[in-house]
Amino acid sequence: MRKIVAAALATLALGAFTACGKKAEEPKAAAADAGSLNIYIWSAYLPQEVIDQFSAQTGIKVRFDLYDSNEALLEKLQSGVADYDLVVPSDYMVRILIAEKLVQPLDHAKLPNFKNLDPRFLDKEFDPKNAYSLPYFWGTTGLGYNEEKLGPIDSWESLFDPKHKGRILMLDDMREVFGVALKTMGKSLNETDPAVLKQAAEKLKKQKALVATYNSGDFANILAAGDVDLAHGYNGQIAEVVAKEPDKLAYVVPKEGATLWMDNVCIPAKSRNVENAYKFIDYIMEAKVNAQIVNGVSYASANVPAREFIVPEILGDPSIYPPDEVIARCEFMEDVGDTTTLLDQFWTEIKAQ
Amino acid sequence: MSEPGRLDLPERPVGRLAPAPARAKPFSWERALLGWHSLVVYLFLYVPILILILYSFNRSKQTAAWEGFTLEWYSRLLHNELILRAVKNSLVVALTTTAVTTIVGTLVALALARRNFGGKAATQAALYLPVIIPEIVVGAALVTFFGAVQMRLSLVTVIVAHVVFCVSYVAIVVRARLAGFDRSLEEAAADLGAGPWDTFRRVTLPIILPGILAGALLAFTLSIDDYVITSFVAGVGATTLPIQIYSMLKVGVTPEVNAVSTLLLLVTVALIALAQRMQQEPSAKGGKKK
Repeated sequence: MRKIVAAALATLALGAFTACGKKAEEPKAAAADAGSLNIYIWSAYLPQEVIDQFSAQTGIKVRFDLYDSNEALLEKLQSGVADYDLVVPSDYMVRILIAEKLVQPLDHAKLPNFKNLDPRFLDKEFDPKNAYSLPYFWGTTGLGYNEEKLGPIDSWESLFDPKHKGRILMLDDMREVFGVALKTMGKSLNETDPAVLKQAAEKLKKQKALVATYNSGDFANILAAGDVDLAHGYNGQIAEVVAKEPDKLAYVVPKEGATLWMDNVCIPAKSRNVENAYKFIDYIMEAKVNAQIVNGVSYASANVPAREFIVPEILGDPSIYPPDEVIARCEFMEDVGDTTTLLDQFWTEIKAQ
Repeated sequence: MSEPGRLDLPERPVGRLAPAPARAKPFSWERALLGWHSLVVYLFLYVPILILILYSFNRSKQTAAWEGFTLEWYSRLLHNELILRAVKNSLVVALTTTAVTTIVGTLVALALARRNFGGKAATQAALYLPVIIPEIVVGAALVTFFGAVQMRLSLVTVIVAHVVFCVSYVAIVVRARLAGFDRSLEEAAADLGAGPWDTFRRVTLPIILPGILAGALLAFTLSIDDYVITSFVAGVGATTLPIQIYSMLKVGVTPEVNAVSTLLLLVTVALIALAQRMQQEPSAKGGKKK
């Protein structure tokens, strides 16, 4: 007797499960059509109207999802079953994705607008000859600070000044933090000499007593809230808080030089809509479209002819588009090989102090 | 085997905000201290949430400073397609998960409570695994599994993953309800001529219904909150609300997020409070006796 009940309930359960399965499976089936493109990208990197225009022009249905870290992107591509056709990893992650064979080589012949890109941002160490990636946005890692309170600042040394004790924020990022110390010593942020690195580590250990917090997430908000006076951070977020209180806050790429970062467009190795991905990449490299993207999200692109269409408030903002002499004193972060182990060890010592 | 009901999870302190009312007794220091202690503990737990709610009405876009009352963020929220899409995804996942886990979990609980079968002990042990294993391990295991069977990541894989970790909670809660079940009631019903279906529908089900509802609500809240497992198994078109919020961290969380969190919090708290009530009050119709 109970069997009947159980059977009835089981049928119900099965029915419910398959029903919902079918409903949710629809988008999956559509993804197999020739007419779609799945983008996996950082938040606030691609204005909706650009996607809508592209869809209207080509009939390609675009869907996009957001990730919060390069590592989340890596994990997703490693699963082997993520259905994405276009991703935007940062420089160091491009190197990892290439090594793991998770992205595919790009056929430059399919990208006539490649010529629009600024050669200063091409052929970098993480992807020689741009065989796998193209620059999307770039920026600097610099210093946000309370200018109203501290007056003008132009040097990383301020982060080591005891008079700012407890009012300093550093990124919670080993390479970036070492970069700061190395720059104050006049060295490259890709330095591999153990003796020099040891010196940098000593300097950072001493600095720790002055640092209020190591934070890579909402450093700009902490600065804006007035909890710190000096914040080591990426230009994008700091520029945003500076724009709200331009009389109080400022962003500077210190005179010693700083890190250049770059996020790049890649096509995953397992993409099933490769041709559509090429169409989209070429589309966003068109000067006007690219300018529309930059105007929409306030990051700097590597597109030269696009500059003509970028609004002056963005093109003229040195925290978004730094002048050439500032770019000239910045460096990209390169893979330092085995030195990473040594840095890891020093970093642990600093953080564990 | 551990006592059924040991992992009886709805024991969250919702709905008991105030310290227990003191009976008319002479003043005692112990009691006063206990009251104060409870108050401090509850403040510690709930003040951050209250601040979040308060700031969803803050005119300033900066999270830190209070600049006056506004409903702007709630109205902006209604026009933010990305957040609305994420809310919709989260609701689809949570509702489907709840429907599936409630039925499957109840069946599992009934089977474990009523039947003897080979591998029963192992099944019982396996039931506790998703509750005990760290979420990150469940997430990594699931994504490996989907890779092995070549199932493309989408909203479906999110639902499957949520069913996997929620079904145990439902089964455990219903099982706890069944532990105090007086079988003689069913026998009496059968003696009086009720068939198996009538017995189930009119005797068994009403008695265990509070447990089933509590389990369902628990599954719903767990599913709608989940970030870790979802971040592993979400695919194309499956950005849920928690993932959306995390992704916004890079460019700064706006008060719209405070607004949507507040709305979600209200729903979740209401559901948990309801779940607790259901668990505590024996159903009037069922007339649970000990």
